[in-house]
Amino acid sequence: MPSKPAKFQIVWLQGITCNGNTHSFLNDPLLGSLLDKVRFLYHPILPSQMSLRELVVKIPKSDLLIVEGAYRGDFERGGAVMEKLLPALAARAKNIVALGSCASFGGIFKEASPESISGIVYDKSEATGPLAAMREKVINLGGCPAHPEWLSFVIGMMLNKRKVALDELGRPKELYAYTVHNGCLRNDYFEWKVDSRSFGTKEGCLYYEQGCQGPFTHGSCNKILWNGVASKTRAGTPCFGCTEPTFPKTDLFRTKTYMSIPSEMPLGVPKRSYLALAGAAKSFHIKRLEERLIDDHA
Amino acid sequence: MITHELIERIEGEALIDFRTDRSGRVQDAQIRFLHFRGMEAILEGRHPLDALVIAPRVCGICGHSHLIAAVEAIEAAYRHSGAEVKLSMKARSIRNVTKFSELLQNHLKWLYLIMLGESAKLLREEHPLPLKALNAASQANRLAALFSGQWPHSSYALPGGVTCDPTHIEIMQALKILAELERFVEAEVLGCSFGEFETIRSYRDLTALGGDFGKLLQNVERLGLADTGHSHGRFLVLGEHPGCRSMAIDGNTRRAADVANVSEDASAVIEGKTYAKNALYEGAFYETGPLARALVSGRSVIGAIHEAHGDSASVRIAARMDEMVDLLKNIRRLIETLDLSEPSYIAPPPIETISGEGRGIVEAPRGSLIHTLRIEKGKIIAYAMITPTQWNLGNGTAVSPGVAQKAMIGAQSRDKASFLFRTFDVCSVCTTH
Ligand code: SF4
Ligand code: SF4
Repeated sequence: MPSKPAKFQIVWLQGITCNGNTHSFLNDPLLGSLLDKVRFLYHPILPSQMSLRELVVKIPKSDLLIVEGAYRGDFERGGAVMEKLLPALAARAKNIVALGSCASFGGIFKEASPESISGIVYDKSEATGPLAAMREKVINLGGCPAHPEWLSFVIGMMLNKRKVALDELGRPKELYAYTVHNGCLRNDYFEWKVDSRSFGTKEGCLYYEQGCQGPFTHGSCNKILWNGVASKTRAGTPCFGCTEPTFPKTDLFRTKTYMSIPSEMPLGVPKRSYLALAGAAKSFHIKRLEERLIDDHA
Repeated sequence: MITHELIERIEGEALIDFRTDRSGRVQDAQIRFLHFRGMEAILEGRHPLDALVIAPRVCGICGHSHLIAAVEAIEAAYRHSGAEVKLSMKARSIRNVTKFSELLQNHLKWLYLIMLGESAKLLREEHPLPLKALNAASQANRLAALFSGQWPHSSYALPGGVTCDPTHIEIMQALKILAELERFVEAEVLGCSFGEFETIRSYRDLTALGGDFGKLLQNVERLGLADTGHSHGRFLVLGEHPGCRSMAIDGNTRRAADVANVSEDASAVIEGKTYAKNALYEGAFYETGPLARALVSGRSVIGAIHEAHGDSASVRIAARMDEMVDLLKNIRRLIETLDLSEPSYIAPPPIETISGEGRGIVEAPRGSLIHTLRIEKGKIIAYAMITPTQWNLGNGTAVSPGVAQKAMIGAQSRDKASFLFRTFDVCSVCTTH
């Protein structure tokens, strides 16, 4: 009889974090079948084999080290400083995932102390983090938080021994080659340059005034949806670009413009072409797009 | 003897320094939190609306509560500076639906991931991962996401309303999810119908419940902890929402609470030792959270049991479970009465014209959450938060202990004291924002 294959061993380490990636991951609807195939040597909430104290003392070998939260050398977990703990666990891990924007690029908490806080490989977009030398085995899952499907996809690929193609910031192309704009229900409006004028409506595009960063933010938020049903732009909230090393920018609910044209262009679109296109599109008045979609509410 | 205990499987980690006598009984417990992040400083100098994106990131399990506290603080700043900011009933109700869903998922996770597991561990019993509960919690999050776009970390509330524009489709989806959650709570958590649950008046009947809530109470009883964990018997609710208003309870006296009586005390904050400030009401430690809310709202089961047992561990647990039933009832009412024809958002004057101070208070899963900010012409000048767990986990002295501290003193062992600590639903990420 073939012996049962050893389970894929995971260590889940938290740096400076809000635990948002932990809770995001718990939303994965297929968590059960995933957990059948893996074993947590350590996880902050899910049942695991070791306590935090044991983890920092034993520094176990693992198939995957997941890091949630930003890095600061003197930050302690279980009484051990990150400066020692992270490289030690990383050296004994076959693969590493930086889960969320904090672990990937520094994220929100980096704002508190920009000189000492970074991601594990990247500090914003510079590869100068503590695990820069091991960047070959690190996959970045930017996002605040990362979508649960993004993590389970990557774990699935590892379980099936397939190589994950990465972009220049170490993010899986299959997840981050899309922009958030891709799949957004407001695309009709974007094309014809119809802005949403006000928050709180399902009509109009949020790019022109409300600060939407969807056209230049990598992520499949509008392809796989959040919690199976929604996305920020579907709920009328602009995309804040949380998957990017530039997150968080400032003045997030307003589009920065230059001579009333958004100053940041959709990915890969030269300003000149955009201007030509916008001029033409604006001259069309498409009645359908100027009215409410469903006006008979009651 | 002094022992340092690392408490995990909470949100983050905490250290408790126990002083025990020869028999191992706890004489004093000092609580330490080590992971300060400086969220208030991150917010200062920013555009006020950025707070709606940054503040939810204080906590991955109660980001919505932080969002609502932040938006209400900004709205209060509007009013303070003499400007008008209007909110439709619809927007108010939607904010409450997402907030209540968040409370619900929190309580489910606390029951299944923390309390059942930890009590089983103390009893040396098996406790397999309750996937059913994770599924239910994620349904509660899905319910919130229908309106808020995503959970965790959405920023869908703005001064003047909410960004979403739900239609009947979202309402029907919401009702389906709600029915599923109601079924789960009846069949799995309570082990009886809501109707039967409402007739319960005694503690004995609660422990006899066939569901997982009854199981937890039985575990607590088997551990000999049911009638332990008493604290000061002082309760505080500062936030208001349907069915709950601001009130302070002290023994037999009840009075309207006034946030002006709230103070923070940083004497326990010592670099490297702890980063948690104490939150005090009229200079004293008060308990906030589900038990306080149940007593304020006059929910009958909890009131009766509290009368008989005081603020014991089991009453505290019962209040959090009972709140789930109450939340479901409120969510249903809010969704069924939502008037879709009302506006979601009523644009207030540009925030760049506003200078003033504002405060937003929200009843978060673990208790009263306060955000206070001062803005000057489109910029945050000062931002301050008092979080729920600061109230309950504040650190006093052996003579004048904080709420959870008092509950731990006298416990037979450190393990049991740690369990009592968890009955408060501990969160270190928010305590040390
Ligand atoms: S709202 Fe944002 S993501 Fe959607 S179409 Fe407009 S720009 Fe694209
Ligand atoms: S839509 Fe934008 S802000 Fe929202 S989760 Fe996706 S990348 Fe982040």
